[in-house]
Amino acid sequence: MNDLLSVENLSVAYGAGAPAVSSVSFTVGHGAVVALLGANGAGKSSIMKAVSGLTPATGKIRFMGEELLSSPARRRVAKGIVYVPEGREIVGDLTVRENLVLGGYQKPAAERKERMEMVLDLFPEIAEKVDRQAWRLSGGEQQMLAIGRGLVANPKLLLLDEPSLGLAPLLVRRVFDRLATIREESDLAIVLVEQNLAVTMRLCDDLHFLRGGRIVGHRGAEELKDETARQEAINAYLGAAAA
Amino acid sequence: MSFWDSLLYDLFPLIWSGMITGCLYALGALGLVMIFKCSKVVNFSHGNVAGLTAFLVYGLSSGVLMSLSWGAAVLVALLAAVAIAFLIYSIISPVVFESDLTSTIATLGFGLIAQGVTLLIFGADIVALDLPIPRFAFSVLGLLITGYDLTVLAVAVVTIGALFIIIDYTKLGIAFRAISENPFAAEVCGLNLRSVHYFAWITAAILGVVGALLIVPTTFLSVTTVATFMLQAFAAAVIGGFASLPGALVGGVLVGVLMNLFTFYVSPEFSSTFLLAVILAALNIFPNGILQKVGGSRV
Repeated sequence: MNDLLSVENLSVAYGAGAPAVSSVSFTVGHGAVVALLGANGAGKSSIMKAVSGLTPATGKIRFMGEELLSSPARRRVAKGIVYVPEGREIVGDLTVRENLVLGGYQKPAAERKERMEMVLDLFPEIAEKVDRQAWRLSGGEQQMLAIGRGLVANPKLLLLDEPSLGLAPLLVRRVFDRLATIREESDLAIVLVEQNLAVTMRLCDDLHFLRGGRIVGHRGAEELKDETARQEAINAYLGAAAA
Repeated sequence: MSFWDSLLYDLFPLIWSGMITGCLYALGALGLVMIFKCSKVVNFSHGNVAGLTAFLVYGLSSGVLMSLSWGAAVLVALLAAVAIAFLIYSIISPVVFESDLTSTIATLGFGLIAQGVTLLIFGADIVALDLPIPRFAFSVLGLLITGYDLTVLAVAVVTIGALFIIIDYTKLGIAFRAISENPFAAEVCGLNLRSVHYFAWITAAILGVVGALLIVPTTFLSVTTVATFMLQAFAAAVIGGFASLPGALVGGVLVGVLMNLFTFYVSPEFSSTFLLAVILAALNIFPNGILQKVGGSRV
């Protein structure tokens, strides 16, 4: 009853073909980190887009007790659901500062400024380059900017879609260190879609395994310390036997 | 006449007057580019809607409809342009996100409607619209500069300057640039794409009225005058790459100067042909616009 996000029977279909997501249900508690794990095409990103209002869906999406399924994306951002998409999707021609302004577009100027300062403290790598066009940043810096842009909106729930994609291992570690810091210092809940199982297990409380648009298994992070459960997770990631 | 005399008496004045007219083409082109950049629609109704509002100023200030002062008539025309732009975008907005082509074709229809309404209210007669533009002239190094030239320059500098300040330095400008480059990212950040589209359409309509009212004193006002003027603006936008605001500005001045030179030195009859040749050449030599950048994406 006290869940921050409750998703029930969520389905997403593109055109007349097989649905990308079929009757998926899960919950996210306040301050919890939940991972969605599965092979390519399992429906992870579609779930993220449906929860953030960027793709039409059926079912129920309750956020802080309010039904949001028919709400547009901008209303969900105002409510505190912020999506950091796969591939970063920063605006290359805008400067780092302008990208951060974009992230806090709905916030009053004073709050936006405060949040931007917080983000720049968290990511000193981009703080040095605030007036540089975003396309000039390195891949890791762009990912930090994408996460930072999401944080300027002061979210209650951050939907992170493959934040380690295309990054060198050292940068992946750095990004996840920052996420761990955010988690420690705030009540922010995170839904994480990630291919890197090791870093995912380090950060998450719960993991849901997806296959063919359905949730086929669920494990708590503690359970994954067990070798069998970990193998199930790896199988799910590889798209092999259901966990 | 010596070469230097020819420069002094023909070429420089032609370039100067071309630049003045080019500023007006730039105003029209900036409107077209603003709409295309953020909503990906080529607005073919731009000229006819601007023409209708120019006629409105004539009708409201000449006694045909009312006898308002020219200032009040211009204000009413600007409000009408804003209302028409709002209406057109409101009608096509459901398809803007579905099909750029359908929306673009729809604007052709709105252009015809605007032309039909103009004919219905004001008829097919050619009229003169006399705006209170200062009538003086003085010479600088042999170059004749008129009150009209300075008025156009002043209005263009203030209007374009204000536009660039809004686009470059305000939150709305950041939203406009973000939606122009990456609408998905803008939506992810919670922006209302439609409200920024409205901003672009309404700003373009205002630029169109300003351009139309300033071009009319150099000619007469007919149902097709402003639409023809917008053809040059269209060429300016193409030369600029159709997605670059600075490109539209440079394209406007370039078209104004080139058209003037061609008309004087070659043939006024073939000026439209020349304009098409310029567009084709620009598309081949600068497919991404005359100000195309190396690396990154266009502004």
